[in-house]
Amino acid sequence: MSIMSHNGGSVIAMVGKDCVAIASDLRLGNEAMGISSNFQRIFPVSDRIYLGLPGLATDVATLREKFRFRVNMYTIKEEREIKPETFAHLVSSTLYEHRFGPYFIEPVMAGISKTPTGGVKPFIAATDLIGCLNFAKDFVVAGTASDKLYGVAEGLWEPDLEPEDLFETISQTLLNAVDRDAFSGWGALVHVITKDKVITRTLKGRMD
Amino acid sequence: MARRYDSRTTIFSPEGRLYQIEYAMEAISHAGTVLGVLATDGVVLAAEKKVTGKLLDLSSAKDGGYGGSGEKLYLLNSNVIGGVAGLTADANSLVNFARSAAQRHLLTYNEDIPVELLAQRLCDMKQGYTQFGGLRPFGVSLLYAGYDPHYQFQLYHSDPSGNYSGWKATCIGANNGTAQSLLKQEYKDDIGVKEAIGLVLRTMSKTMDSTTLGSEKLEFAVLTVDPETNKPKAKIYRPAEIDALLLSEGLTKKEDDAEMKS
Amino acid sequence: MENSFALVGKGYLIVAADTTAARSIVKMKSDQDKIKALSPHLLMTYSGEPGDTLQFAEFVERNIRLYQIRNLYPLRPSAAASWIRRSLAESLRSRHPYSVNLLLGGYDIASDDPHLYWIDYLGTLSEVPFAAHGYGAYFALSLLDRYHDPNATLEEGLATLKRCIDEVSKRLVVSPDKYKVKVVDKDGIRDVEL
Repeated sequence: MSIMSHNGGSVIAMVGKDCVAIASDLRLGNEAMGISSNFQRIFPVSDRIYLGLPGLATDVATLREKFRFRVNMYTIKEEREIKPETFAHLVSSTLYEHRFGPYFIEPVMAGISKTPTGGVKPFIAATDLIGCLNFAKDFVVAGTASDKLYGVAEGLWEPDLEPEDLFETISQTLLNAVDRDAFSGWGALVHVITKDKVITRTLKGRMD
Repeated sequence: MARRYDSRTTIFSPEGRLYQIEYAMEAISHAGTVLGVLATDGVVLAAEKKVTGKLLDLSSAKDGGYGGSGEKLYLLNSNVIGGVAGLTADANSLVNFARSAAQRHLLTYNEDIPVELLAQRLCDMKQGYTQFGGLRPFGVSLLYAGYDPHYQFQLYHSDPSGNYSGWKATCIGANNGTAQSLLKQEYKDDIGVKEAIGLVLRTMSKTMDSTTLGSEKLEFAVLTVDPETNKPKAKIYRPAEIDALLLSEGLTKKEDDAEMKS
Repeated sequence: MENSFALVGKGYLIVAADTTAARSIVKMKSDQDKIKALSPHLLMTYSGEPGDTLQFAEFVERNIRLYQIRNLYPLRPSAAASWIRRSLAESLRSRHPYSVNLLLGGYDIASDDPHLYWIDYLGTLSEVPFAAHGYGAYFALSLLDRYHDPNATLEEGLATLKRCIDEVSKRLVVSPDKYKVKVVDKDGIRDVEL
């Protein structure tokens, strides 16, 4: 049994038209035994950036606290919110600090940034457990169902989806992928981040 | 002769006094006024800005940040607003320390720091500078307006000696005596935030040196609890919002005492 | 084998832990209390590596008491849980990690409701309506999935707990015979006989 699948859980992020979405399942397990069906692994970093932390649950909590601390100190000293691109590098360097004794987490982040011309730019990224960044233009996946998520997302995702269509796409992708994975599932949580609001919805899933 | 006991902070005078600390407090009583009032459903802070001038670049204060113009009122944590009176440079260092302390508490306990605990953290440091040799005490008094689930809304004051105390309404800086006796007359135990705002603004207008009351001379903040999320909401007013508030309270620019009495 | 169970109900929290102290295949003691009262409204069961368990539980107990003395009010259950979790997470990556599993539960005076946290030796923390540690968990969690009711009265809650204990006694090869049961609600902590 690998440490990465000790607690189970998966996260996916997708790009839409002037919006992004990030979603995860809600299972916390201890190997095959389910402990909680309400385990949060996606956290707001700012109003417009969300961070998903699939992997070992103790490190989910540790990293969540660490990033909240670092982002709060950044915000308070800089007197402005952190940009998604900057935050991605914060995640990367934080993980690489522990190159030879890593946190067992493969973070996924989604956010939108404002361009100088007043438009918005969607942003998604993922890293491996030592912080190697992957900036994708379509979708990123991680967690115990990542191989299944790749397959379904490859089939369902298309460019320039409006927020509601993106919500449907990411929800279907996640639910169908985690149904094929014993370590993920037990309900899901979806955030769609748009220019002026964040839509958060809880999804029911198979409870077996 | 007093000089012999002046030069170091850590030496008592024959009468048992620490002159440097008394001087620090004296310095504060010449600084811009900061005034706080505790209400049943919130806390109100106001401060008098001293450094003004046409050539002072305040462009960064207009947008970004947490509101305010960053001279007297600071957001210390999402549940605490601090008002400072005294040396600006010392105050900046204390504000920085307070923000780090609050974040450290959040990191270990996953909760906003209780207001009194934050005041204690700063006072521990301030007291240290009155005892260990060669250093000057912080020339800063602070007001802490905050909320926590233990004691709900709170207002604290701390001085350079490291003492702190809780208040229903208090004032630090220039003319604090006048302001405090005014507050003593007008404060009621069941005061709401709306009335507290009025009380704070009226008291400020009476104690401030200048005849005009406007955003160029005033900083203003209110801490309440958001009824929807049940979380504390700290609002430091931007210059335009202060002018709008003064207008709605009927206290614009030229202040006249006739209105006060009615 | 060690077992501990806990569940929240309407305004209360029940915590139970077996009372055996075993070394290898030998039962050394059968009246060991493995539930610590950390503050007037906070309970913690501990199980795992003998030695580590008591050492860590006392470390937690003293630190929570210290906070209470310094700050005139005790830590809230959620804050205590976060602090304990961090201690275990830091211990995990140290030279000698504690091997202790905990169920932490308490009644929050500030928000007027009970909370239960499942914590393991890795520093995993999760707030749950019911929880269990040990081999008994495999039976108890299924029963609790079926019978747990967050709005149940204390009597109903205790009956659900008894179901779990009876099932574990019936099905587990090496099952403990005696359990210590404690309840915490707005009035504080008390022992309960099943």
